[in-house]
Formats: sequence, C-alpha cells, structure tokens
Amino acid sequence: MEPTVPREWIEEFEAAARRPLRERLRYAFIRTYKPVLDDAPFRSFDTMVDYRRWCEENLPSWLGYGRGV
Amino acid sequence: MAAGFEYRQAEEIAAAFARHGVRYLFLGKSGAVLLGFPDTTQDADIFVEKSPANGGALVAALADLGFPLTPEHRAEIGRGKDFVQVRYGPFDLDLVFAPDGIESFAEADRRAVTVEGLRVCHLDDIIRSKEAAGREKDLESLPRLRAFREWWLRRSN
Repeated sequence: MEPTVPREWIEEFEAAARRPLRERLRYAFIRTYKPVLDDAPFRSFDTMVDYRRWCEENLPSWLGYGRGV
Repeated sequence: MAAGFEYRQAEEIAAAFARHGVRYLFLGKSGAVLLGFPDTTQDADIFVEKSPANGGALVAALADLGFPLTPEHRAEIGRGKDFVQVRYGPFDLDLVFAPDGIESFAEADRRAVTVEGLRVCHLDDIIRSKEAAGREKDLESLPRLRAFREWWLRRSN
C-alpha cells in the first residue's frame, strides 16, 4: 500500500469488509433531493455527449456534474 | 424521487435480471459499494449491454421490479439509448448503455465480479469510467477509490 494512503482510509476499508452486504447498502445509499436532476420522472439521451452537455447546461454547478479541471 | 436503494431490492434485481437473462453490470459508486467500498451514493448505476434482445429483457425485468414504465419509455429503453434516468420506480435508477472509458460490454463482463448474485464491474473499469467522465464529483472520489483498489486487490490475492 502506498504510504500516502491515510491510515484512517485503510481502517475504514477493513471495517467495511467486516460488515455484511445488507449493512453496507444501508449505510451507503442515502437519498437527498438533487434540484433539476430529480425533477423529471424520466430522461433519456441518445449519446453520453448529449447527457454530459445537458448536465453542464442545466444542473447547478455545486452538484458536481460539470467537467472538472 | 424514490426511496433509497436497499438490500431487498438488490436481491430482487439479481432475481429479475437472471429470470429474464438481462446482461448487466453495476457500475459507478454503487458498483464500488457492492465490492466493499465504504462511501455514500444516491442511485443505482447499471451498465446494460446494448442489443435489441437485451433491451427487451431489461424492460420485462424492470416491469417485474415494479417500474411502471409507459409504452414510450419502454420503447426508449428497449432501443438502448446511451443514457436513461428513471425516477418513478421503487428506487432511482440510471441505465448506462455506453459508459465513458469502457470499450465494450463484453470486455467489462469478462473482468466483472459477482457479489451475492449481482454482477459488478471490476474496480479497474469503475475507475476508468470515472476518469473518462472527468466530472468534478468523479475527480473528488478518485483518490479514495484508487486507494481502495490497491487494498481490495491485495486482499483478493
């Protein structure tokens, strides 16, 4: 393991490995409302480029769907 | 907005997809969580093989799972658009037919892992996909995902 990996991450990985999948899913999936993204029941895009463009143009930047630097 | 994704629904997906012969792989952070990655996420991302037969099987399986898809939406999913977001079912679902950074379903399927009956992309593919997508939220999660990969591979060997 690279020495730059924080020790607490390793401890978290090991702790997660001791939990059954049922428990891991309960901790992992947390629903919060995402404006715009969650406002339509269904969306489809012909290409991933279309989807990425739509995200860039329509979603609040703080959601993090925009292209990173 | 649906309720959160639960273990019971994972079991139901495994059963319904197997019953209809859907070729799929969990991808994204939901896939990483299934492999043991301790983090939070909101929806299930599923990479689906793009073919007319698989699209039809997927639509039938989603009906079994309780997604009340309209005829128009069934047709769009069946056609295999690159990306479909469903927010009116028992859980929120993103269907990805052509994920960034992954050459083909067959290649990803060969490297995939089975976790309690669920097919999951290998961590290398999950990481590649996030690198290629390059969104801010992907870039934020990558250092921890890469560290988990190293730990996971050592533990598997």
